[in-house]
Amino acid sequence: MNNTWGDVAQYDPVTWNWIIAIYLFMAGLSAGSLLIGLGLRWWSNTDDKSESAILKAAALIAPVAICIGLACLVFDLTKPFHFWLILINYNFESVMAIGVAVLLFYIPLTFAYALMVLRDELAQWKLGFLTPIATMLLPWRKPIELVMFVLALGVGAYTGFLLSAMNAYPMLNTAVLPALFLVSGLSAGAAANTLVALLMFNSNGHEPHMKTMHGMELPVVFAEMTFIFMLFCALYFKGGAAAMALASLTTGVWAVVFWVGVVAIGFGIPLLSMLMPAHSRHTKGAMVTVACASLAGVLALRHFIIYAGQSYIS
Amino acid sequence: MSQRYVIVHDENKCIGCQACSVACRSENNVPDGVSRLQVHIQGPFGEAPNLHFKYHRMSCQQCENAPCVTVCPTGAAYIGDDGIVSIKPEKCVGCMYCVAACPYKVRFMNPETKVADKCNFCKDTRLARGEQPACVDVCPTDALVFGDTNDNNSQVAKMLLQRANYQDSTHLGTKPRVYRIPTKKGGIVS
Repeated sequence: MNNTWGDVAQYDPVTWNWIIAIYLFMAGLSAGSLLIGLGLRWWSNTDDKSESAILKAAALIAPVAICIGLACLVFDLTKPFHFWLILINYNFESVMAIGVAVLLFYIPLTFAYALMVLRDELAQWKLGFLTPIATMLLPWRKPIELVMFVLALGVGAYTGFLLSAMNAYPMLNTAVLPALFLVSGLSAGAAANTLVALLMFNSNGHEPHMKTMHGMELPVVFAEMTFIFMLFCALYFKGGAAAMALASLTTGVWAVVFWVGVVAIGFGIPLLSMLMPAHSRHTKGAMVTVACASLAGVLALRHFIIYAGQSYIS
Repeated sequence: MSQRYVIVHDENKCIGCQACSVACRSENNVPDGVSRLQVHIQGPFGEAPNLHFKYHRMSCQQCENAPCVTVCPTGAAYIGDDGIVSIKPEKCVGCMYCVAACPYKVRFMNPETKVADKCNFCKDTRLARGEQPACVDVCPTDALVFGDTNDNNSQVAKMLLQRANYQDSTHLGTKPRVYRIPTKKGGIVS
């Protein structure tokens, strides 16, 4: 029997699609790689004052990733050429408006920081005309780093608050989601830093910074797994419509994305690689493979959260 | 706010004819494929020949704590002086945050204007002229009643005082202003 009331496609609870998942991934990646780059610069014990390959990688990834992400976001708007409206109208009750305000300061700073850190590379990339700006900015490096670190924490967490603010979706409306997004952003950032440092900045994978970063990978992965476990426990204990959302772990394509993408590739490959003998684990090929697996895992997690999260409504 | 406009849907009187939906489409120029208003029909329930159906109005619930207004980054979704949740089309960028955040899933992107759209009780047209919303006027069985509950003498105020009624998803704290008078006949929905 046909229904008499018309097209019901608009009632599909899945409103945001994979483009938003890519944006969330890119924003987390940008913030994560910068947080790790800055963290290593401040808290590592080396006296070497030259720019490390990791920091160069982070300085490059931060602006590029956030711009790719924002391009996705803008072209997903139904009125992409009116995006400027969001820059002049602010409702500060809205997490999205707060995010726009944070990004408005974050993005120019990531570009400024890239110029500073990559000042020696500018000439060989035929961007030598920017070197005077980089030199001009250098005295401001410390305050810029501090502000950027705080803003990066904001960018990494806000993507989680953006989703958790919607109380109609029990899987998204959880306190742990912003923490999960921040930590998985760190994981993606570390992986991308490794990739770019190895492939673009001729790191050999044995610098002290690289070693410190690899030392952080295990705790970050465990934090990620703990937060995911807490997320599902919260749904289970809440019962009702929230507990229904646990079906996303056992049914449908997003269960496959979760177990294969997030768990097997994103957690399994990096964890198993730690069992490899040190000399083969530290080859370029192994490090690139593990980094790609981590990135794929975080991308899969964003897709799982976006689609499975919106599929269950309370 | 001096007014508190509500709609009451009497599910005993409703026959699911969709006249309200058609009138709404015509009054508000709603394009094909999307709707501000539908009446979903469940059933049949009971044993033949005594079958009956349940009718459920799908439209903006005019929440007093509207999630769409909270999440809207530009303030395009707003609550006016009359308390009605509406949209300023010139401020909407089409981020769909409101469509995602609405627990009732009654917001949609208008494919012609590219702006979020939904029921606003015909605020700019019929209400402005002192008339009832199109769905209320057209209903052949008078299953819909519209009015201001802050006016104690209004029909809606009296109705809500006298008749058992319910609202959808009150556990989310949205305080919806679409009231429903449940059908007297039951029916088990598994």
